[in-house]
Amino acid sequence: MKEEMIQKALLVCGVTLTILFCLGPFFYMVLTAFGRHPDFLLPGKAYTPTLDNFRVVIFSESIPFMTYLKNSILISAISAVVSVGLVSPAAYAIARLPLPGKAAFLFGALGISMFPEISLISYLFKLMSAMNLVNTYMALILPYIAWTMPLSLWILVSYFSQVPRDLDRAAQIDGASRLQILFKIILPLAAPGVYATGLLAFIFAFNEFLFALMLTIDHSARTIPVGIALFEGFHGQIPWGQIMAGASVASLPVVALTLVFQRRIVQGLTRGAVKG
Amino acid sequence: MTQPQPNMDENRPHHINPFQESWTALLFMLPLLAFLLILIVIPVVGTVLDSLMRDVAFLPKKWIGLTNFQVLLKDAAFWQSTRFTLSFVVVSVPLEVFLGLLIALVLNESFSGRGILRAVVLIPWAIPAAVSGRVFELIYHYSYGAANYLLKITGLSHEPMNWLGTGMGAFIGVVLADAWKTTPFAALILLAGLSAINEDLYKQARVDRAHFFQRMWYITLPLLKPVIVVTLLFRTVMALRVFDVIYVLTGGGPGGATTPLSLFAFRYFSAADFGYGAAASVLLFVIALVFSVLYVKAGRFEEELE
Repeated sequence: MKEEMIQKALLVCGVTLTILFCLGPFFYMVLTAFGRHPDFLLPGKAYTPTLDNFRVVIFSESIPFMTYLKNSILISAISAVVSVGLVSPAAYAIARLPLPGKAAFLFGALGISMFPEISLISYLFKLMSAMNLVNTYMALILPYIAWTMPLSLWILVSYFSQVPRDLDRAAQIDGASRLQILFKIILPLAAPGVYATGLLAFIFAFNEFLFALMLTIDHSARTIPVGIALFEGFHGQIPWGQIMAGASVASLPVVALTLVFQRRIVQGLTRGAVKG
Repeated sequence: MTQPQPNMDENRPHHINPFQESWTALLFMLPLLAFLLILIVIPVVGTVLDSLMRDVAFLPKKWIGLTNFQVLLKDAAFWQSTRFTLSFVVVSVPLEVFLGLLIALVLNESFSGRGILRAVVLIPWAIPAAVSGRVFELIYHYSYGAANYLLKITGLSHEPMNWLGTGMGAFIGVVLADAWKTTPFAALILLAGLSAINEDLYKQARVDRAHFFQRMWYITLPLLKPVIVVTLLFRTVMALRVFDVIYVLTGGGPGGATTPLSLFAFRYFSAADFGYGAAASVLLFVIALVFSVLYVKAGRFEEELE
C-alpha cells in the first residue's frame, strides 16, 4: 500500500533526524575531546586522535577538574540521599495519615519548585556568609536538599499511594508503629520509586549551576559545571580540546546513569514533574 | 499513572487515636517543612524585603520604599533585558514544544530499537546546561565551528555567520542551544500524553480511510491539546528563569543583547548591590508566578489528589 510506504519513510526520516539532533552536539564534543586540533572540520585539516586532552584534564595539577568532579559527585549524592530520606516520612504522612490541608500543601510545594532560583540566591548568599559556609560543601548541600524536595515529594507520594493499604492495616493491627510501617513495608515495596526519586535528585543537583556559581569560590567546593563554564585556559588561546575533554568527563556520570536507569527516570519524571 | 490518595483510614484499628495520628503526621512533615521554610520561603521573602531597601556593600542598609523599582523602570538595560527574556520565551518555548512533539510522535511508533532511541533522547537532558553551553560555544566558533561548517556544506550560506558576535546571531544561537537541551523533556511529557490516546480511535479512523495527516489533525492534536498546553506553560516558567546556558554561551552579549532578567539581577548581586538586584528578581518572580499558577490550573493536578 502506498500510504504505508509513505508512513514508513516518514518514520525512518524521523528516527534519523532525532538521532542526529540529539547526538550531533554530543559526538562533536567527544570527537573534539579526542582530537589533537579542534579545527578538524576545515578543508585540508585532518583529524588526529589523541588522548592528550584527557591526560591534561585528569592529571594536570593546574586544572583541578577531577577535584571539581569529586565535589560534584559527593555534594549531589549527599543531597539526594538526605532529600529522599527526609521527604519519605512526609510523603508517607500525605499518602496515608489524617492531615488537614494536604492538597494545599502539595500545591504549595509544586509552586515553590517553580520559583526562579535568582529570587533566593542573594539571601542564601548572605545566610551562608553569616554562617561562614560559603565555599564549603554545606553551602550547596543544604539548598540542594531543599531545592529537590518538592519534586521528590510529588514522586514519592505517587509511588507510596500505590502500595496496597491493607498491608498497613495488617501491620497496624499487629501493633507496628507508623515509622515501622514506613521502613518495613512502604519503603521496600516502593523501592523502585525511591531509587528513581534519588536518581532524579542526584541529576538535578549535579547539573545545578546558579547556586554553585554564587556560593563557591575555588576548588574546595566548586562543582564541575561551574569549573567547565569558567575555564578559559592559561595562554590566551582557548584550549577547546581540553574543555571538551572536561565536558565529556563532566557528562559521563549523568549520561551513564541516564542510560542505565532510563526507564525509571522517565517514569519518575512523567509522574512527578508534569502530568498529562 | 496512578494517583496519590489521601484518605481518612476509616477502618483504623480501634486502639489508634486519630489525634495522635495527626501529630505523627505533623512530625513526619517537620523536616520537609523546615527545609522549605528556611532555605526557600524565607529567602524569597528576604529578597522581596531587600528590594525595598538600599542594600549596597559598605553603606548602612536603608528603607527606601519603591525607589529601586522606580529606577528600574527607567533603566534602559532593564528594558532591554526584559524584552530579550520575553522574546526568548516566545520563540524558544513553541519551538521546543514543536520539536518535542515531532520526537514524541516518532517515539510513539513501534519499531525495533525504540527503547534505545528513548535513551538517546534523554542524553541532551542529562548533560549539565553549563556543559552544553560550552559545546555550543565551540559549535558557533566563527572559523572552525560545526555550525558554519554545516551552513557551508549544505550551501545555505557561503559566508560564515558571526553567531555570537551579532545580536541576531547570538539570539538564534541561545535559542537553538536551549532547544537542544530542553526539547527531550518536552518530548517525554508529550509522549506520555500520546500513549494515553486510545488505539481504537486510530483503528476506526483507518477503517474510515482517514490518511496519516487527517488522523494527526482530527485525532491526535485535539486529544493531545491539554497536554500541549501544560507543556507550553511548564516550559514557559522554566524559560523565564533561563540562566546557565546563556551565562556560558554569550555572557549576555553582545552589548547586552542576550541578557535574561536572571543574569541582569545576578550582575548586581555579584557587584554587591543587593537591593537593586532584588528588585529585578522580584519582577521576574512575579511574572513566573503568574505562569506557574496557570500551569498548576491547566495541569489539573487536583484530580490526582481525589
